[in-house]
Amino acid sequence: MSRPAPAQVSVANRQGTAQVTRLATSTFVRPRVLGVRGDRVSVALVAACATLLAGDDLRLEIDVGPDSCLELIEPSGTVAYDCRGGRAHWSAVIRVAEGGRLLWPAAPFVVSHGADVHRSTQIELAPGGTVLMRETLVLGRSGEVGGSLRASLSATAGGAPLLVEDLDLTDDRRRSAPGVLGTARVLATVALLGAAPSETAHPHETLLAGPGALRRAVTQHAHDAEAALDPTWERWRQAQPGA
Amino acid sequence: MSAEPTAELGALLLADGRLPTGSYSHSAGLEPAVRSGLTVEQIPDYLEARLRTVGLVEATAAVLARRQAAREPSGLAGVQAALLARTPSAALRTASGLLGRGLQRLGVRLFPDHPGVVELSRWQDAPLRPVALGVVGAAVGMDERQVARASLYDDLQTVTAAALKLLPVDPVEATGWVLDSAAVLEAMVGRALAVHDTADLPALAAPVVEQWSLDHETSSRRIFVA
Repeated sequence: MSRPAPAQVSVANRQGTAQVTRLATSTFVRPRVLGVRGDRVSVALVAACATLLAGDDLRLEIDVGPDSCLELIEPSGTVAYDCRGGRAHWSAVIRVAEGGRLLWPAAPFVVSHGADVHRSTQIELAPGGTVLMRETLVLGRSGEVGGSLRASLSATAGGAPLLVEDLDLTDDRRRSAPGVLGTARVLATVALLGAAPSETAHPHETLLAGPGALRRAVTQHAHDAEAALDPTWERWRQAQPGA
Repeated sequence: MSAEPTAELGALLLADGRLPTGSYSHSAGLEPAVRSGLTVEQIPDYLEARLRTVGLVEATAAVLARRQAAREPSGLAGVQAALLARTPSAALRTASGLLGRGLQRLGVRLFPDHPGVVELSRWQDAPLRPVALGVVGAAVGMDERQVARASLYDDLQTVTAAALKLLPVDPVEATGWVLDSAAVLEAMVGRALAVHDTADLPALAAPVVEQWSLDHETSSRRIFVA
């Protein structure tokens, strides 16, 4: 069975003005242009249906052209529902060309009890391309243990590995082990990729070996994680070249 | 059968905490874990969690480094780059680099002409511990399986030895934790050996271990480096 087509957003810079060169709707996501301001385009990723259910394969393809800037907005979070033995997939492929910028403050990604989700984010940065992204993974709606989640991220800068991680949160006992998540159910991350801030301002902010930085919050509640990450997001937003 | 007469002895030496590489000053994250409330009863779970995440990543990197050191030492830089990208915490990279330097010094003095050792000498940055372990393991004649097991065993013993200094632990009970880890350890050895391409290096993350390492770096009261 072939995979469903991805939702696509491509932007370019035409003589200093941002231009959306491709906007493709999928079964799951309906991208909508919110506005163009100078070299920056804002696009909302609007959910087209109650995702994610067993068998769903939500795909996103984001292309940011040279010297252009794309801001993605998610009006609502994503909830993966009880899959009753099936599995749902969520994946994003992001390509940022030289001098391009992507800002993506993703809304919470909630894995309900009984859900089984594989999530994959793949980022390819050309030299000088940057991504500032934020993700909040939540295991379970309020009062739930939460389903099974495997989340991988692979980012390269100029073809070299920059950040590669694979979170195996499939088994409740193993993910609750000390050092993995312990008793926490929320793992939130801000990542600046392709450029590094000049300094870190919080003990949990860390510079990557390559050009980039990471800040995590591991908490019980999503709002605590978001509050912890807000200052870092704002600071790194300023630090992103071209901001 | 190993070709080098030093293979078996070398495997014991490189797994020995008395080796002059500075490993006694590390706790593999146990000290900040204890400060965050980790109890003696939770240590076996902590050991298993490490084996399944950072332990597997490091053991696989050591295996890949062992192979590159023997076949194509210039490929060691790729293993180092892949492992750096899987180690987002700057504190953990620094700690691993200190241990790597210790092993590298041993290699430079004892096996100055080994192509893997020569390759590491060209680098400006410290080799991470698994990369240096793979290279020195190759120089002493260890095979891939011995290198993988040494990497995982070292992780277990670093936690266990640190536990004796940080918590009221019966040393015999602590030794039992290591033995009880055998099944998981051998499973991870098998998984490490099955990886042949640097791009396939596992990246299994332990987010709280990373947070603890960052907390520890800024802590003013500490016994261990990391």
